[in-house]
This record gives sequence, C-alpha cells and structure tokens, in this order.
Amino acid sequence: MSDDPDSAATTKTGISVTTTPEDHVIAWLAALAIAIHIIESVLPSPLPGVKPGLANVITIAVFILYGWRTAVWVSMLRVLVGSILIGTFLSPTFMLSFSGAIASLIVLWLASRLPGAGLGPIGLCLIAAMAHMFGQFYTAYLLFIPHDGLFKLLPLLMTAAVIFGIISGIIVRSMLQHLEKRKNDTTAQRNKQEE
Amino acid sequence: MTRADYYIVLFAALLLPYLYISQWTGDKAGISATIMNGNETTEVSLAHDHTLEIDGALGTSTIKIENGKIRFTASPCLGKQCIHSGWLEHAGEFAACLPNRISVAVLGEAPRFDSINF
Repeated sequence: MSDDPDSAATTKTGISVTTTPEDHVIAWLAALAIAIHIIESVLPSPLPGVKPGLANVITIAVFILYGWRTAVWVSMLRVLVGSILIGTFLSPTFMLSFSGAIASLIVLWLASRLPGAGLGPIGLCLIAAMAHMFGQFYTAYLLFIPHDGLFKLLPLLMTAAVIFGIISGIIVRSMLQHLEKRKNDTTAQRNKQEE
Repeated sequence: MTRADYYIVLFAALLLPYLYISQWTGDKAGISATIMNGNETTEVSLAHDHTLEIDGALGTSTIKIENGKIRFTASPCLGKQCIHSGWLEHAGEFAACLPNRISVAVLGEAPRFDSINF
C-alpha cells in the first residue's frame, strides 16, 4: 500500500507480501505483548485468574498512541499467538484470556467514544482490567464452574484487578511520558543541528 | 489524571466494598435438601425441625434438621466423615456417608451443576 521499498517482503519462492507501516507497528507491538504474556504465564499465581496482566500495558499504550483498531489487532494477536506458543490454545485458559480481552476491548471502544478529555492512562487501565476480570469471570461461571459458590471469589478477584489495573496505569503513564520526552529531545537535537 | 479518571477510580472504590458485602454476607439459606439413599431420592424441607432415621446399606443413619440447617448426627460407618461434615445450611453444601450409601445436599432456588470439565 505504501511506496516504502522496505515494505514489500519478498520470499524465496517469489511471492511478495505488501505491508503497510501500520502492519509493522502492529507486528512489533504484538511481539512485545506476546513476550510479556509468555513471561507472565511462568509466574506463580495465588488464585486462578489472578495475574498482573502486564501485557495489557501494551494494549492500553497502543490504544492511546494508535487508536482502538490497532489495539484490537495487538490484543487479539497476543491472545492467539501467546496461547499457541504456551500450548493452551482452545483450552479453558485460552477461553478465559480471550473473553477477558474481548470484554476489555469493548470497554475501550466505549471509552474512545467519551466526550471531552476522556480517560487518561490510569482510568483506561483500571476500567480495562475490571472489564477483563468480569469477562473471564462470567465465562468461567457459564462454561466451567456454574456453581454459585464461585461468586465468593469475585470480590477477591476484583480487588486484584483494581490493584493491578492501577499499577499498569501508572506504568503506561510513565511510559508515555518517557516517549514524549524522547520525542521532544530528538526534535530539539534536530533543531539544533539545523541551526 | 482527567476528571473521567477520577470517576473510574471512584467507581472501583465503591464497587469493591459492594462486592464484599453482597457476596460475603447474607448467604442464601438453603430452602430444602435432598437425601439420597442408594438410588432413592427424597426431598425434605428445612423449614421445620425434626429428626430423620434412614436405613442405608449398613444400618440406620440419623439426620437432624434444626433452624434451617441439616446434619448427620449418627451413622453406622467407620470413618464418620458424614458427621464431621457438620451443619449444612447454604445452597450447594453436601455431606455423604459412602459406606451407608446416604448423601445429603442442600438445595437453593435452582439446582445446578458443581463443575463441568472438558
């Protein structure tokens, strides 16, 4: 789609795939999110369903920087490829992860429609984490453990979601500040060189 | 942080206590219980206090209903697991005497599965 000569990848068989700069952004960030997803899957968890969800830091940062559509790509690729690499594809773990991701993407879409200044990184991360938890909790309830006793876990799970949501919000905020600073530094440097 | 951010944090701060209070207190008491004796199932109400004597595979088990709760009080088995299960009052709670082939399950409004495995 673009005129960039690097954007056409040619394989040995001569089939060429044309990629847009947006595809490159999605691929890079999805790769980063998948790496975090896999590292996190190794960490022990006190309760099934409780996870820091640091891969969502990437989703929210992508949402703020590139918009909802790109965030959907990065998030879905992360869930799909992450589960294939860990070996949980189509297992209950995958279902929970997938439904949680869908729920948080729906909430992010709603957030993108908000009038005014909208939500900042902390609000976005928090609401996305809570939506993720609700999504996976209801999937677990409907598909795997349709017992009312499961609801006893909801307050604990939601507390974890709120805590980790705020923490990842703080991470996203400092990440964006860092990016902004670097951008300003490079433009300042360029201006200096031009002088 | 924008104003909407504060609203989200406030929402979370209100949601958590609500969840703890609604889910961890005021348990739905069981309405009735099913007693399975071998393949035979009988449903009993927990509304009035009484004692049941049930003849199982080994002998007679005694089941007591009091204040909307139900428990095994005597059983001819060796392990007495059923008696150690204590009072059952919440929907979904369960006690069984496997040697005597008698089990008690408290029912709520709608009985459902415990768990589904794929």
